[in-house]
Amino acid sequence: MSLLLALLAAALTFVMLLSGYRVMAGPSIFDRLTGLGLIGTKTIVLLIVLGSLIERVDLYVDIALSYALISFIGTLVLAKYFENIKEGE
Amino acid sequence: MNLVAGAMLVLGFGFILTGVIGILRLPDFYCRLHAMGKCDTLGVALMIGGLALIEGFTLTSVKMLLVLVFISLANPTATYALGRAAVRSGLSPWRAGNGQQ
Repeated sequence: MSLLLALLAAALTFVMLLSGYRVMAGPSIFDRLTGLGLIGTKTIVLLIVLGSLIERVDLYVDIALSYALISFIGTLVLAKYFENIKEGE
Repeated sequence: MNLVAGAMLVLGFGFILTGVIGILRLPDFYCRLHAMGKCDTLGVALMIGGLALIEGFTLTSVKMLLVLVFISLANPTATYALGRAAVRSGLSPWRAGNGQQ
């Protein structure tokens, strides 16, 4: 089981790098925000996987919970902010 | 029990990978939002559910289920907020053959 968890942690990191391409190259600002949201949710899963891997998941799940709250509020605030800025400015 | 948990983990990662391929390959913002909203929510829910199954019934796994419920509510809401903000800021959707690729 711990081999599977290690492989999943590595694969999740690789997938986060792939979504980082959309953050770097997105044509509009909302594409970049979409990539940031993907990286945020994968970070939550990666935290819990790493916690299970080193057997300290009781510590890591609290970090994951607060990160989920902060990431959600950050996405909402950024969407609200860029709503009033027209495309191409 | 471990077999079910492992299957849920691998299946959830498959959904996440599908969502990321959609993010990279689909032609415009709204299509990418479609890929992100569903695949990512289901994949993350399956993976956290599998990890909670490995953990067993403790306070930690209850907290993991709390993360699962929060993500199931928050991820579609964030997707909706992004799409609404894009419509309001005037981002036009992709159509076949209107000059964009």
